[in-house]
Amino acid sequence: MPFRLGKIILCLFTFLTLVSVTAAQELVVWHAYRAEEKAAFEKVVAAYNASKGGKVKITTLAVPYDAFADKITAAVPRGKGPDIFIYAQDRLGGWIEAGNTVEPIDFYVEDATKARFIPTTMEAMTYQGTIYGLPLNYKVITMIYNKKLLPTPPKTSTELVATAKKLTDQKAGKFGLAYSYSDFYYHAALMNGFGGGVFDAQRKPTLNSAANVKSLEYLMKWFDTDKILPAEPSTALITSLFNEGKAAIVFSGPWFLGEIAKGIDYGLAMLPKIDESGKPMKPWMTVEGMYIASSSKSKEAAYDFLKYCTDVPSAKILAVEGRQTPSNKNVYNDATVGADPILKAFRQQVEAAVPMPNLPEMTMVWSPATTAMNKLTKKAATPKVAMDEAQKSVEADIARLRKK
Amino acid sequence: MAAGMLHRRRFAIGLILGLIVGLSVLFALYREARNEIASQAAERSGIISLLSLTQLVSETGPSGDAMRQAVSAVASSDSSLKKISVIKGVSLEASTVPQDSAPRRLKRDEKPIFDLGQRLRAAVQTNREEQVARKNEIEIQQIDNGALRLAAPVEEEGSVTGFVMIETSPSAKPSPPSIVTPIIVGLIALAVFLAVGFLFGEKRTALAILALVILSAALAAYGMMVKRATEADNMSVENKLAKQLSEQSTRSAGLLTQLGITPKAQAKPGLWDADVYRTPRGILTDQGTINKTVLAKKEQSFEQQVNKFQIGILVLCLAILAFFGFGVASKLIQTIVLNRQAYLYVTPAMVAMLVLVFFPFLYGIVLSFTGSTLYNTEKPLTEIWTGLRNYYDILGDFSIVKRSDQGISINFQNFYWTFLFTVVWTFCNVTIGVVVGLILALILNTKGLALRPLYRVLLIFPWAMPNYITALIWRGMFHQQFGVINQIIQLFGGTPVSWFEKPFTSFLTALTTNGWLSFPFMMVVSLGALQSIPSDLYEAARVDGASRWQQFRSITLPSLKPALVPAIILSVVWTFNMFNIIFLVTAGEPAGSTEILITQAYKIAFQQYRYGYAAAYSTIIFLILLVYGSIQNKLTKATEAIA
Repeated sequence: MPFRLGKIILCLFTFLTLVSVTAAQELVVWHAYRAEEKAAFEKVVAAYNASKGGKVKITTLAVPYDAFADKITAAVPRGKGPDIFIYAQDRLGGWIEAGNTVEPIDFYVEDATKARFIPTTMEAMTYQGTIYGLPLNYKVITMIYNKKLLPTPPKTSTELVATAKKLTDQKAGKFGLAYSYSDFYYHAALMNGFGGGVFDAQRKPTLNSAANVKSLEYLMKWFDTDKILPAEPSTALITSLFNEGKAAIVFSGPWFLGEIAKGIDYGLAMLPKIDESGKPMKPWMTVEGMYIASSSKSKEAAYDFLKYCTDVPSAKILAVEGRQTPSNKNVYNDATVGADPILKAFRQQVEAAVPMPNLPEMTMVWSPATTAMNKLTKKAATPKVAMDEAQKSVEADIARLRKK
Repeated sequence: MAAGMLHRRRFAIGLILGLIVGLSVLFALYREARNEIASQAAERSGIISLLSLTQLVSETGPSGDAMRQAVSAVASSDSSLKKISVIKGVSLEASTVPQDSAPRRLKRDEKPIFDLGQRLRAAVQTNREEQVARKNEIEIQQIDNGALRLAAPVEEEGSVTGFVMIETSPSAKPSPPSIVTPIIVGLIALAVFLAVGFLFGEKRTALAILALVILSAALAAYGMMVKRATEADNMSVENKLAKQLSEQSTRSAGLLTQLGITPKAQAKPGLWDADVYRTPRGILTDQGTINKTVLAKKEQSFEQQVNKFQIGILVLCLAILAFFGFGVASKLIQTIVLNRQAYLYVTPAMVAMLVLVFFPFLYGIVLSFTGSTLYNTEKPLTEIWTGLRNYYDILGDFSIVKRSDQGISINFQNFYWTFLFTVVWTFCNVTIGVVVGLILALILNTKGLALRPLYRVLLIFPWAMPNYITALIWRGMFHQQFGVINQIIQLFGGTPVSWFEKPFTSFLTALTTNGWLSFPFMMVVSLGALQSIPSDLYEAARVDGASRWQQFRSITLPSLKPALVPAIILSVVWTFNMFNIIFLVTAGEPAGSTEILITQAYKIAFQQYRYGYAAAYSTIIFLILLVYGSIQNKLTKATEAIA
């Protein structure tokens, strides 16, 4: 009898040990991908799970984009969110200031890992000298042109103006250049190209700096003097103009490519160099990063997954099948990725791109900046006056926020 | 008990309850205050030790043997410090725990220590850039038994190069104050009341005054005792800390001479007694004595706070006394017992309303009294309390008009401008809605109209379609170059209008859209009311020779009033808060001139992250609508039933 009991206990013990040994660590990843991006990402996750031989299991959850940021803000500080989440860098500052949302990963990141990324994308993941995530991919605006109307794209601003003038016929509704120039995000390309910017190194707003005002005066030259731009440029208008063959050049990002009609033969090229300032147009890049949630219980395992997703094999899947532009610079040496003209064009453009500021104060900039842009594009105010007002408004908002 | 003892019984009960509540609150406060003083003392003592050590390490540099010698010397001479660690970047440079074998790289599971260092560095940088003490430059954590773990950054030549972490030895919690004292005070008060009350008999006013006096006296007496004891506690803490400061200052100076290091800057021990932002409290001087003026100021503010509190408690207890003494309590109990079935039926709905409606609503109002923003969401509300400042900022801002070089311009962010605009917006919309809806209802009501159901469905359609989509479509139709409206204008030979360029035309676009959306509701209400008017009224009027217009004015309109007026109140409230149309059609263009109150509140909350201010804004909107609703209701007696 005792012998039988002993055997049973031994079996139970072995079983329990085996179960605890084989019990997989489960990690949850939240993302806002749909269609092909989602399929590509899930392929990467499946590959990772297979490579770990059942010890670590990653599950993904697709959360709608509109609600994503708010869900993270609400769930993670209360310990209910995912272990890892993927989002653009613009909310990063806000989450860090609110606290208990994003985990700093300086401690885990080795120099070798840091070296695999395009340096500016790593900058986008850094806030006050601390690294908070690994960059997955980036989006920038570049020049998209109609090959039938324009066989060779212009390389400098003078060329651009000359070519666009030839192709513009305002009465017929045809324009040489069409882009959402009254949207501050799109104007950033010109602004940064003149050496301007929204915040300085000490995080003070510099909306009305001389360089910014100059860039706006230059924009108004395109609109007023050269007359190559349409009035009231909404994104819907730009898309319809390009699809009807009435716009030769558009400045837009990868999201535009999906909207282009089937019959249009389009090409991508780098944004032109501005002759007046001697610098190329430097658009803002939105970097999608993978972050580890502060409430995660398996941070080391999470970091391992982050490293895997940003490495070359995963980046290749995300690029070829997900149509993303990865931040890993080595993946562009691959034959398939290197041959793709669209990926190549964006890779070229990102060399002259600046990461969008990830400060929480950035949200306060949009409204006054949009107001200023609308006013000066309708010539209700000069660029200097409009930007002075915007600067005052942003300074006031920041001062009120920072009062103890 | 004889009915003659009624008033004495009631006041006795009221007095007892008032005494229990008042004395126990004071007792709890006293206990809290003692614990608070003790923990603050432990914190300050910890900070003094930490900052003296940090200053030492910044002189020796956060790495090197000299630093390690100094640290071990401090550890051996100071029994209150259980553990000292010095960390520079990723390496543990010094540790008083021999097993740590410092210097070495931090291990994988020591990531929180590394992150702490990063946080301190970022905090120093942020505070310096923003020139506001916003982030903690000293982090304090409670570990078991009342011991503390503190960490502060080490600065060399203005930049943070590392940090020092110490653990203090556990401090005992102070013994709880004696509960016998308040019990004795309470019993004495009760005894006096019963004795003197017996003499007064049943005179209600006399008993009331007696109870009031006794209650106030008892609470004031105990309150005074508590205040004196707290002040004595404070004084002894200051003396202890002063002694610690002077001891550590001499020790530091001695160690530096021992190691042969000349200090780069003169040590200012007065700065060691600081708060978590490393701002010196100023109570202790460099020589280790107490600065009497600063201490007196601190004590004064403390006294004022305590007095305010005690007055509050007194008022509350007097209210309890009055409640029971004047018989209100017994009446309430009688009513509830009488109607207990009714109250039972109402309870589930009341609970649901409480949780889903009243609590969030009250929380919003409480939030409006604080300065809550994105940056201080973790702080408890009492720390960021600003009282009526938000309301004052909103309502006291009269800068509606600005003068600039281009002449006079209107400040569109001003509350009063936005309020005026919202009122005009509401008035125009409701007028259009009612007029158009009524006309259509009259048309639809004609006898023998063919295809009436079809017309009804078509005319309801604007209301049925999600107004989000309608708003976006209308916005597209008003586009300057490619919108339908301008194309139609051009068709008739006019010049196209740039709708969103001027405030007035922008207002027209929103007005058109909302007019389109709001007439179906009014039409349905009017139609329903029209169909309930008996047709013999019209017959009689026709026979009497009344014209159509007279019939309309004397029969139709008055009969419509009971249906239309509540509908108008509803419509006013909805239009006042019509967020979708303004946000999607004009987005406040140009330059915020077509914002209504609710879109302003949204922008303040979610673009400027000023939650407290936005909550105040919303509360003001609520109050405006509440006042309007009550006035309108009273004036038109709209909710009175028809006789």
